[in-house]
Amino acid sequence: MKAASARWLGLGAWLVPILFFAVGPVGALLLRGTGAHGDAGLAWLASETGALGNTLGISAGAAALAFLLGAPLSLLLFRTDLPLRGAFTVLFTLPSAIPAFIWGMGWLSLASPRAGYLNRLLGDGAFDIYGPAGIAFVEGLSGLPLVLLAGAAALRRVDPALEEAARVCGASPLRALLTTTLPLALPSLLSGTVMVFLMAASSFGVPYLLGVSASPPTRVLTTRIYELVLLGGDAGLARASVLATALLLLTPLALLATWALGRSGRVRLSAGKGVASRLLPLGRARGSALVAVGLTCVLLVLLPLGAILLTSMQRSFGAELAWRELTLAHWSGVLLEPRTLRATGRSLLLAAGAGGLVCVLGLAAAVLQRSFRRLGAGVEALAVWPYAVPGTVVALALLLAFSRDLRFILLGRAAFVLALAHTPWLLLIAYAAKYLALGARNSAEALAQIDPSLAEAARVSGAGPVRAFVDAPLPLLRPALTVAFVLAFLACATEITMSVLLVPAGSEVLGTLLFELQSYADPAAAAVLACAFVALVVVGQSVLALVGRRTVEVR
Amino acid sequence: MASIALGGLFKSYGATPVVRGLSLDVREGELVSLLGPSGCGKTTTLRMLAGLEHPDSGVIRIGGETVTGPGVRVPPERRGLGMVFQSYAVWPHRSVEENVAYPLTLRRLAKAEVASRVKEALRWVRLEALATRRPHELSGGQLQRVALARALVASPRVLLLDEPLSNLDAALREELRAEIAALRARLGTTMVFVTHDQGEALALSDRIAVMNQGVIEQVDAPERLYREPATPFVAGFVGGANVLVGQVRDGAFHTAQGDTRFPLPPGTAAPDGPCTLVVRPEDLELGAEGTPLPLSARLFLGHAAEYRFPVGGTLLRVVGPPREVRAGEVLPVRIAKAKLFATG
Repeated sequence: MKAASARWLGLGAWLVPILFFAVGPVGALLLRGTGAHGDAGLAWLASETGALGNTLGISAGAAALAFLLGAPLSLLLFRTDLPLRGAFTVLFTLPSAIPAFIWGMGWLSLASPRAGYLNRLLGDGAFDIYGPAGIAFVEGLSGLPLVLLAGAAALRRVDPALEEAARVCGASPLRALLTTTLPLALPSLLSGTVMVFLMAASSFGVPYLLGVSASPPTRVLTTRIYELVLLGGDAGLARASVLATALLLLTPLALLATWALGRSGRVRLSAGKGVASRLLPLGRARGSALVAVGLTCVLLVLLPLGAILLTSMQRSFGAELAWRELTLAHWSGVLLEPRTLRATGRSLLLAAGAGGLVCVLGLAAAVLQRSFRRLGAGVEALAVWPYAVPGTVVALALLLAFSRDLRFILLGRAAFVLALAHTPWLLLIAYAAKYLALGARNSAEALAQIDPSLAEAARVSGAGPVRAFVDAPLPLLRPALTVAFVLAFLACATEITMSVLLVPAGSEVLGTLLFELQSYADPAAAAVLACAFVALVVVGQSVLALVGRRTVEVR
Repeated sequence: MASIALGGLFKSYGATPVVRGLSLDVREGELVSLLGPSGCGKTTTLRMLAGLEHPDSGVIRIGGETVTGPGVRVPPERRGLGMVFQSYAVWPHRSVEENVAYPLTLRRLAKAEVASRVKEALRWVRLEALATRRPHELSGGQLQRVALARALVASPRVLLLDEPLSNLDAALREELRAEIAALRARLGTTMVFVTHDQGEALALSDRIAVMNQGVIEQVDAPERLYREPATPFVAGFVGGANVLVGQVRDGAFHTAQGDTRFPLPPGTAAPDGPCTLVVRPEDLELGAEGTPLPLSARLFLGHAAEYRFPVGGTLLRVVGPPREVRAGEVLPVRIAKAKLFATG
C-alpha cells in the first residue's frame, strides 16, 4: 500500500509544475486563439495569409534544400570510404549546435547586397541574402544535420545482407546502394526533412534578421507574433495568440507525417543494433568526391564562421578589406563591458538552473514512466511535447498566462502571490519546459538499459528504496544526465527566440544582447559575441564527446 | 538460519493468476528447490519471499516472524536475506570487493571488520585474487560468484537463489553447483532455490517443490519424488516420463486419441475407467510381443538409443539398447512398468 501511494504521490508532485507551467499556459493560449475571438479572429487571420504563406514557403524551401544536400551527403559520409569522413561528419553537424541566428549573421556578412564580402569580391549585387530565398537557404543549412543524423541512423540499421543479396543478383556496388539501401533509408531521411520543415517554421531569429529589414519586408508567423507582442495591448496579444495557434497546429501535422514515414520504414529495417556493414569503395571517384564534399563543407560551414570572425575584427563593417583595417578593439570592448559581463552571468546562471531542472524533472519523468506501465506513455508525452512547440509559442503562452500576478490562498489563511511577469523566473520556466525532453529522453533511454535487478539486489542487501536508487541505478545514469545537462545548458545559454519575448527590461541575457547588437547597433560587436557563442558550443560539444568516450570505456 | 513458512499465497498480475494458493514450510538449514516450467510462478513466489512483490493474500513467516500478512509488509531490506539473481545483478560501477562490501556498509560495520568479512566471503567463492577487478573484466561464472559472495557476506537468515546457474554454460554450471553444495555444507544457511532444471534440483535439494500453474503439485525428497510421483505432471517433468491420456478396459490401456491398445503388466493397479498413463522411457521394451507401432525416429545416445513412436497425439519415447532399425519400420512396444492416475 505504502509503495503504491508513494508512486501516486510522486506522479502528482511531478505533474503539478508540468501542468501549471507548461501544459496550462499553452492550453490557455490555444483556447484564446481558437475560441474567444471566434469569427473576428479568423477573418483577421485572412489578412495575415502573407505571413502564413511565407512561413510555409520558406519552410518547404528549407526542407527541400536540407533533403537535397543531406541525402547524398549521408550516403557519402556513412556508406562510402570517403577520406576524412569522420571530420566531415563533425563539421556538417555543427550547424545544428550553433544557433541559426549566428549562421544568419555569417551569411549576412558574406552576402548582404552591398557590404557582403562575396559581393565585394565578385562584384556588386551578385548575391542578396535578404528575403524569402535567403531565409530558406540559411534555415535549410542549419537544418541539414537533422537530415544527416536521421540518414546515419537508418543507414546503420539497414541489414548489409540486403545489399549483398542485390550484389549476388548481379548489381554493381553503386547500383546495389541506390536500389536497396537508399530506398530503405528514405523514410528516415524524409522524416528528418519534416523536422527541418518544423524547425524552419518555428524559427524566429533568421527570419527577423533577413526578413524584417528586407525590402519589401518578408514577414513570417513568428516575426509577426513578435511585432504584435511589441505593439502590445489586448488587441495585439489576441492577434498574436491567433497566429500562435496557427503555428502550433503545424506541429501535430508534421509529427503525424514523421510518424507515418517512420512507420513505413521501420518494418524492413533490421531490428538489431549496429550491424557493421561494408563500405562502398569509391575507387577512382574518391579524389573528386573528396574535393566536392570538402568544397561544400568549406563553403557552407567554414565560410560563414570565418566571415563572422572577420567582421569581429574589422574596424567597421563595410570597410576596405586590408590587413591594416583589422583590430581587436571590438573584442576588448565587448568582452570587458559590464553589460556583457552581466548578461553572461545571468545567462550562465539561468542555463545552469534550467539544466538542473531539466535533469531532475527529466529523471523523475523517466522513473515515473517506468513505474506506471500504461500511464507511463502519457508521462513521456507530457515531458517531450513542449520540445516540439515553437519557442515563440511557448514564450507567448507564458507571457499571457503570467501577465498578471496570481494569488493563491492556502487553507483560507496563508495567501501568497505568484508574480512572475517581468522577472527572469519566467525565462527559467520557459527554458526548463522547452528542453525538458532532453532530460526525459536521455534518462529514459539510459534507465531502459539498466536491469531492475540491480536496484532489487541493493534492496535485499539492506538498502531502503531511496538509498537503493541512489546506490544502484543513479551512478549508472550519470553519463546520460551529464549529456542532458550539457545539451540543455548550451541550448539555454545561446537561446534567442524565447528570450527576446520574455526578458524583462534591464536584465538582458546573452541571446537578447546578441539580438540587439546585431539588429540595431553594432554588427562588429555582435560578431564578437557570436564568436564567443561558437566557442562555448565547441567547448560543450567536446565535453559531450569526452563523456561519450568514457561511457564506452566503462562498458 | 531460519525456518520459512508460506501460507495460502495468492498473486495475480491484472487478470492473470500467477500463484494460486501456495503453502510451503522450509525447515532451518534446509535447501528446498522450487522446480517447474517457466511461467509456473516459482520466481514470483521467491520474489514475494524476498519482499520484492506483495501477494494479494497469504502469509509469509521467516524465523517465526511474520514478514508478509494482513497489514504487515516488511520491506526487503529488513528481512535479513541474501539473494542471487538470474542476471547476477552485480553493480557495474563497483569493484568486486565494493560489491561484496555493500551489505556490510549498510549495516554500518567498522572498516576493519568489513574488510575481513569481505575477504572471507571472497575466499568462500575463490575470488580473493580478483578483489579489485571491475565487473566488466569478469566472466559469467565469476560474476555469479561475486553475486553469491555478496548474498552471503552479511550472514543472511535465508539465501534465495533465482535460477543462478541458467546463464552459464554446462561445464561452469556443474562447477558452480558443486560450489553451492560445498558452501551450504560449510555455512548451513537455509536456502530456497528456484530452477527449471530437474537435474539441478535433484542433485542439490533436500526437498523439491514441483510447481505447475501457480500451485505446488508435490513436495518431497528428490528420490521419493522420482520414484513415486504424485501426479502425471510431476512424473512427466521430473522423470521425463511419457504421459498418455485414455482409459482402462479389460486390463489394457486404450489411448483417447486413436484408441491404441497397450496391455498392462500384471500387478498394475488398474480399475476400469478414464485415466492418465505414466510410463518412463526405460520402462518400455521393444521386441517381444507388444503393440506394433511405426517408428518415426531413432536418436543415438551413446550408451543407449531413444526410439520415438507417434501415439495418441504425442510422441512415445522408448529408451533401450541401440538396435539397427530404420524410421518407418513397425516395432512391437511393450509396457514393462507403468503408473496410472484415475481422472474425471
